[in-house]
Amino acid sequence: MSAEDYKNLPVTVEKSIPVNYDLGNLAVFDNNVLDKNDLDSSNASRENHIKSLTRDNVQLLVNQILSLPIKTTTESTGGSSDQGATVALLHLPEPTSELPREKPLPKPKPPTKWEKFAAKKGIQPKAKTGKMVYDEASGEWVPKWGYKGKNKNVDTQWLVEMDDNKKGTEDELVDPRSLNRTERKNLVKKNQRQQKKNLKNGLNLT
Amino acid sequence: MIRTVKPKTAKAKRALKEKEPKLVENVKQALFVPGQTSNKLLHDAMVDLSSLKKPDMKRFDRKNEIRPFEDPAPLEFFSEKNDCSLLVLSTTSKKRRNNLTFVRTFGYKIYDMVELMIVNNYKLLEDFKAKTFAVGLKPMFSFQGSAFDTHPVYKHLKSLFLDFFRGTVTDLYDVAGLQHVISVTLQGDFQDGEPLPNVLFRVYRLRTYRSEQGGRKLPRVELQETGPRFDFKIGRIQSPSPEMEKEARRKPKQLNTKTVKNVDMDPMGDKLGRIHMGKQDLNKLQTRKMKGLKSRFDQDQEDDDVEEYINDEEEELNDGEELNDEAENSEEDTYGEEFVTAEDIDEPSTKRQKKK
Repeated sequence: MSAEDYKNLPVTVEKSIPVNYDLGNLAVFDNNVLDKNDLDSSNASRENHIKSLTRDNVQLLVNQILSLPIKTTTESTGGSSDQGATVALLHLPEPTSELPREKPLPKPKPPTKWEKFAAKKGIQPKAKTGKMVYDEASGEWVPKWGYKGKNKNVDTQWLVEMDDNKKGTEDELVDPRSLNRTERKNLVKKNQRQQKKNLKNGLNLT
Repeated sequence: MIRTVKPKTAKAKRALKEKEPKLVENVKQALFVPGQTSNKLLHDAMVDLSSLKKPDMKRFDRKNEIRPFEDPAPLEFFSEKNDCSLLVLSTTSKKRRNNLTFVRTFGYKIYDMVELMIVNNYKLLEDFKAKTFAVGLKPMFSFQGSAFDTHPVYKHLKSLFLDFFRGTVTDLYDVAGLQHVISVTLQGDFQDGEPLPNVLFRVYRLRTYRSEQGGRKLPRVELQETGPRFDFKIGRIQSPSPEMEKEARRKPKQLNTKTVKNVDMDPMGDKLGRIHMGKQDLNKLQTRKMKGLKSRFDQDQEDDDVEEYINDEEEELNDGEELNDEAENSEEDTYGEEFVTAEDIDEPSTKRQKKK
């Protein structure tokens, strides 16, 4: 048959029981009665029966699918040429057939010791202020920590003011620059210890 | 159980993260495992089924001694190791010829299993010598038979075939991607007391022709079989335990979209909104701007002026009425006073009498 012959064929199908659709999965479910003899393996025209049955259902499905809202976009093919082909995209609804998940739902992260304490005391988390902070001495925005961070501006100074709190203690004679550095390193280590502990406690809970 | 270690490289960390459960899941991966008793036909059948599932699949070459209904542990191991939740195992025996076991897992544990035996009149992809579908496209499905909605075994099969071949779940799909159809038909309707009818698995390529009756939009659809063609006889079945089924059907709360009040879409696809407003103050309503309507020409003040003007005229014309007006004025004066005594109130009446 040539394309001309299909011109006069119908695009609609009559079914005694209307078929169901799951357009999200591009599926059609036909509940009409099937004739056992037509589909028996001894029947010579069996494949034709199956094919015509499927064709009718697919015709119904295609009619439904093509009446969905269509979004037309010009897709740039990439490269230097500005030419792009227009693509007709169908807006598919959510799938209605319920299918099992592959894996259970992700579990929420177990709360840390601090989060538990804060919840008990009703402490709200601090608002995030960002990484940069204004340095009044230089009149520039500098990072709070990290490379050229504000927390290590003592380290490079040639003259450092003595801290009143350290007067009379054993730290008095230590270089304040190295003291500042060790304090910072200790904070990092403490935080890492806490993280490890929280991770361990979280694993025990689950 | 696979030993979990802390990832040492960023790549390993990413790979482990990819395996973790997600809110919106990726496409289920399929793994094709030849059993110890697999044969040439089963191998070819698995190659054909895997080509329908490409690119979301893996295929093993070596045979594995697995009896899924006796000990599913090796399948669970494969599932976890390869991160595949759809498994197909091929075995053959005197009792169960050319058997494919379709297994689904949930969280690397067996969810359900069904044995489908290939009956003799099969036809593989290569037997058709027809142009086939492109890789990675979403197929259309057509299920024929009412038992797919009623009978638990066929419901299971419907769910399995949809789950296996549906590919990515998307809300936008290219019209040009509608290329092939997977048709699943029951060999006759299911009746009580009779053996389960076979399931006929067919794959067709879609050909569309412009039809005069459908207008520009709806084409005439014709099909061309591309294979594979299998008639499946149903063997043993293991359905999911109720707890696991409940767990697997759970919907994440975070994905529930909040219902937006007062905004809806009309059939034409236009967005409509309903707004609730306070009571409108009509006195402040801006009407047409004209010099004559300016507030200094307001009606209330104008009335007084006119009245006085008329009164003045009338005074000359009519003495009697003028008296009344004066009396009213005097009354107003008394109310304006801060202290009103009985005598004060009497006064105007005496005044009136005097004047009369």
